[in-house]
Amino acid sequence: MIGKLKELFSDLFNSSENEDKSIGIYGPPNAGKSTLANQISKDLTGEEMSNVSEVPHETRTVEKKEKASIEANGRELEINLLDMPGISTNVDFKDFSEHGIEEDEAKGRAKEATKGIVEAIKYLDDVDACLVIFDATEDPYTQVNVTIIGNLEAKDIPILVVANKIDLEEAEPERVRDAFPQHPVVEISAKEGQHIDKLYEEIVGRLS
Amino acid sequence: MSDDGVTIEFLSREKLSENDFSDKIETVLEKVRNDAVLVLEEAWTPQEKRDLIESSMKQVDEDFPGVEFMGLNAEPSKINRAKRMFFSKIFNEDHRRGLTIVGNSRVMEKIKEERDSVSFLAKLEEA
Repeated sequence: MIGKLKELFSDLFNSSENEDKSIGIYGPPNAGKSTLANQISKDLTGEEMSNVSEVPHETRTVEKKEKASIEANGRELEINLLDMPGISTNVDFKDFSEHGIEEDEAKGRAKEATKGIVEAIKYLDDVDACLVIFDATEDPYTQVNVTIIGNLEAKDIPILVVANKIDLEEAEPERVRDAFPQHPVVEISAKEGQHIDKLYEEIVGRLS
Repeated sequence: MSDDGVTIEFLSREKLSENDFSDKIETVLEKVRNDAVLVLEEAWTPQEKRDLIESSMKQVDEDFPGVEFMGLNAEPSKINRAKRMFFSKIFNEDHRRGLTIVGNSRVMEKIKEERDSVSFLAKLEEA
């Protein structure tokens, strides 16, 4: 399957002279973006790329695994895998305090988080394809999520929706399907590595 | 937020059409920072909602954590988007039919959204 994934990226970018392409991982805070980014990065490069935490907005800048080297069809490709800060409409430093973080540090984190959200929003113009990941235990039909999907659709950027955390008993991935019926949805557990092969199969089948 | 409760302000489509979108966002954020909840008689596009998120993030500080917003007539499908573009060209601003609700996130909570209905709880006390 890893071979197929590499072939996918090869097919995606073969027609372009610019081989340095970007795959963005978008979604709300704590959806599992960094866990998934680490899984893909490990598969492609053998290395993780992001810190993972239960604290919201752990990823506060765009984390990049740049120029991940992929050899396929007799040529070498380079891609940039982009783990985006979670996009939300509000960042309250008090939410960090609830996780045991001191007030001064919480205020600093909140400031960084707002900058990260702006950075992630600006990248909506620059990515070449997107994985949009949702926590399957949460209601996915929010204005923020609709806004992210709508902006990607407006630019005809290929989207694969990922319903994450299906290892949890309260997961309801069908809500993700109902919220975004216009896009393919893959159900995974990035943490447990569950159905990651299916994710790669969908990428190959839908985006190539 | 006043001592008596939350101010909910309704802005008509005609009033909203007086300003360009960047001025509109500035006005909205100014009112929302003062804890008003605004009900706008128009739908916003995904690009405009993106601009709202970006602009509000730039204003976040210790006293203002950001916004919550809801929209009726949020249409994610390509078919509906194409319809809106069509009607927009034929009937000018008709694609703006709908509602957008914006408020301070410390005021609005327990938001419930469906495709054809939205609701929220306005908090009456300071967090």
